[in-house]
Amino acid sequence: MNAPPAPESFETFVQDIPAAEVKMAARELNFFYGKSQALYGVSIPFAANKVTALIGPSGCGKSTLLRALNRIYALYPGQIAKGEILLDGENVLARGVDLGRLRARVGMVFQQPTPFPMSIYDNVAFGVRLYETLPKAELDDRVEDALRRSALWNEVKDKLSASGLGLSGGQQQRLCVARGVAVRPEVLLLDEPASALDPISTAKLEETLVELKKDLTIVIVTHNLQQAARISDNAAFMYLGRLVEFAATERLFENPHTAKTSEYVTGRFG
Amino acid sequence: MFGRQSRRKAASALFTGFCVFAAGLSLLALFGILWSLITNGLGGIDLAVFTKSTPAPGSPGGLANAIMGSLMMCALAMVFAVVVGILAGTWLAEYAGDTAYGRTVRFVNDVLLSAPSILVGLFVYELVVKPAGGFSGYAGAIALALLAAPVIVRTTEDSLRLQNKALRESGVALGAPMWTTIRAILWKAAAGGLLTGALLAFARISGETAPLLFTALNNQFFSLDMSKPTANLPVVIFNYALSAYDDWRRLAWAGALLIAAAVLSVNILVRALSREQKRR
Repeated sequence: MNAPPAPESFETFVQDIPAAEVKMAARELNFFYGKSQALYGVSIPFAANKVTALIGPSGCGKSTLLRALNRIYALYPGQIAKGEILLDGENVLARGVDLGRLRARVGMVFQQPTPFPMSIYDNVAFGVRLYETLPKAELDDRVEDALRRSALWNEVKDKLSASGLGLSGGQQQRLCVARGVAVRPEVLLLDEPASALDPISTAKLEETLVELKKDLTIVIVTHNLQQAARISDNAAFMYLGRLVEFAATERLFENPHTAKTSEYVTGRFG
Repeated sequence: MFGRQSRRKAASALFTGFCVFAAGLSLLALFGILWSLITNGLGGIDLAVFTKSTPAPGSPGGLANAIMGSLMMCALAMVFAVVVGILAGTWLAEYAGDTAYGRTVRFVNDVLLSAPSILVGLFVYELVVKPAGGFSGYAGAIALALLAAPVIVRTTEDSLRLQNKALRESGVALGAPMWTTIRAILWKAAAGGLLTGALLAFARISGETAPLLFTALNNQFFSLDMSKPTANLPVVIFNYALSAYDDWRRLAWAGALLIAAAVLSVNILVRALSREQKRR
């Protein structure tokens, strides 16, 4: 590949997480969009049953990192990840990994709500039906459970056969969370899930995420520093395709180890 | 200051005026055609048109053979064109990307889209009619399918490309294979566009005369056998409209009205259906 541009000189800090608590991790991850490199040697752990927030200015590589974790980038020829991404210690970048299975274990919610053009029920059941053949009653339970965990059940329980497209933006986004949760993934990736939502919907979504981390590991990309501070346990600050600092959220916001992080979280750039 | 503003207002009014005028002109042409079709064709439409076959001059008759032939050929052509068109369009939109093969197919399809229909007729004549030893309804259907397929390829590709990239990724992100994502999600999301494409294609072929002259030709008699020359509305209209007999010319008008009515009602039906679907 081409030589990376001269790295801006800044110190980095990555806090250690005991290996037993790590659900997923990137190791020396380099990412390329064709010839241009977007990530440079990123190594970061994602602790089990915690929310990890990825923050940083636009173009810093936080979404790229997220999209590498479930290999959704593989849809686009020319996008290449090099290095290792470990899920329960196994490298998911290795050849021969079943991408369908990987994505069933590592779910994803996007910036724009993307309900499928089908009923609310079918939206939630879609992923389940891909991998499991459940009796009707059991599938009903799965759908209800997923909708409850996404704090949407009370709003839609009487109109499960209505189109998912008829819901409000906030409801649609929670439907997308429910759809992801119904598959019972181990990790849930969220790419600025609240950026298209109003404050009330955002608050509901945040509560949902905090509730969900009991059962799974969450990685969320966000532009909103307050949001990161509110809901995440750990936070990672990225800049120019590099990981600058990874630490407990409180520490990263209140007493960052590095000057660059300090500048960013205090609003002096970015 | 005031002068510039009023000048702008005048320019704006002038431009709007031109637009309204141009829109009115095209509407006028459409209604002119419809009006002449209705005034001339409505009188010729009676039960015999649907029950009797094309007559000798001076004797009573109808268009039953031509209607049946047109229906059969259009239906067969559409089945073929929809299957090939949607699959090819899907491939172009979802798999081909910017590869050399993809670009070539897209270019050739665009050429085919604007190919004169008489050329397509000649092509099928050389390729099917001559080797098979005679005109046939099948050859007609093949010619019509060749005209319809490029329309469907193009509209399918366009309407799939219009879908949100994140919708595609959402399906894949749940662990669905690309093919399942396309079938269960993208086609559904693009259903309106796909339907419109098929409709445009149907509208295009339902009135085509030139390719049928070289392939299906015509048939005096009612027949369901598509391996023989097959009667069809456009060719009957073409022959009868140019004839010297009043009753033939009346039938030609009736046939023309039938084609227009069919295209119009299929249009309205599909619009109603897709609106209904959106509401649900």
